[in-house]
Parts: sequence; structure tokens; C-alpha cells
Amino acid sequence: MDSITTAASVVAAGLAVGLGAIGPGIGQGSAAQGAVEGIARQPEAEGKIRGTLLLSFAFMESLTIYGLVVALVLLFANPFAG
Amino acid sequence: MLASPQLQPETDPPKGGHFVLRTSAEAGKSNESPLSLDSSKEVAKASNDEYAHLQMRIFIVTLIVSAFAVSITAIFFELQASFSILIGAFSGILYMRLLARSIGSLGTSSKTVSKIQLVVPVLLVLAVSKLPQLELLPALLGFLLYKPSLVIQALLDSRTKP
Repeated sequence: MDSITTAASVVAAGLAVGLGAIGPGIGQGSAAQGAVEGIARQPEAEGKIRGTLLLSFAFMESLTIYGLVVALVLLFANPFAG
Repeated sequence: MLASPQLQPETDPPKGGHFVLRTSAEAGKSNESPLSLDSSKEVAKASNDEYAHLQMRIFIVTLIVSAFAVSITAIFFELQASFSILIGAFSGILYMRLLARSIGSLGTSSKTVSKIQLVVPVLLVLAVSKLPQLELLPALLGFLLYKPSLVIQALLDSRTKP
């Protein structure tokens, strides 16, 4: 793998993780805030709120995982490596 | 006799035209059942049971989907791809368990959701890149097999809600 491909892969991996984590990070923060407020207001609905939070977190975090996988593939199993 | 809206007659008023009136605050006190500590503990226990049941349902549906995917891959594709899907499916189950544990501890023992579950896909990709027995694409597809169970649970929740 030549040096230009290596440098581009490293930069792309960093961008994939960094940019891919912005949106889910904001979303997870606001979702957790709403869930904790809801549990504080209605403790009897804690199980339902936690379940909904689990589903929404799993869906949101998959976006982070996509970026993470792309970055790891670029770093450790680069398809452009000649 | 002028009675304000806040005054309520007794359920069995005495005869003779004399009504004993009580204020709404007094009536509220007599009908109020105090919320004891035991009842709040029961509510919390039932709520935790509901969350545990949801985790168990997700786990079972993920196992069923993974078994189906592994068997289909073993029949129509190579055994190596099937093994990669199996490893990925176990990684997905581990990821979901760690995520559920971190959400379960949110608000009780920790203030933030931990990110320890993100180590699982990292280790999976590292293992795929180091071990020649594993393939990347089937392992990633196997890792994402927890998603159908989440979609099923979300659909079931939306159908049970009025």
C-alpha cells in the first residue's frame, strides 16, 4: 500500500468515526434526558420507558457502529491496499 | 341554605332536613389510601420485571433469527460463511446484553450510558482481520442480526399500545 493510500485511509477512518458519532451522540443524549425525566415523573412506567430507551438506543447506536466498521475496515482490512 | 361547591353532603344524610357537611379536604382525607413503601417497591419490581421480559424476548428472537440465518447459510453457502455469521450473531447478542445492562443502570447506579458495548464490534472486526477462518461481510451481517428482533419488538409495542 503506497503512502498516499495509507494517508487517505487513515484520514477517512477518522472522519468516518468522528462524523458518524455526532448525530447519534446528540440523539442519545436527548433521549436519555427525556427517559430520566419520564422515570422521575412516573416511576411506575420505568420498565416501559427503559424498554423504549433500549430499542431507540440500539437503533441510534447502529449508526455509530456503521462508521466504526467502515473505519476499522479501512485500517485493518483495506480493500484498496494493493 | 347556601352550599358552596366545595361542601359535600354525606352519603347517608340524617332525616329531618339537617345535613352534615364536610369540606372537600376532609372528604379527600377520609378516602385517601396512603402510598406505602411496600407498594412503591412492588411497582418498581413489576417495572423491572417488564424490562427483564423485554430483554428476554429480544434475546430469544435474536437466537431464533440467528439459528435460521446460520442454517440457511450452511445449506446454500460455505461452512466458513456460516461460521462467520455464527460468530457475528454471538457478538451481536453480547452487544445487546451490554447495552441493556448499561441502560438498566441508567439513573440508579450511573448517570450516563456507558460505551463499553462498542468494544464488541471492534473486537469482531479485529478478529476477522486476524483469523483467516472468518470472513468480514458474513460476520458483520451476523452482528446485525439483532436488528430484526428489535424491529419485531418495536412493531409489537406499537400494536399493543392503544
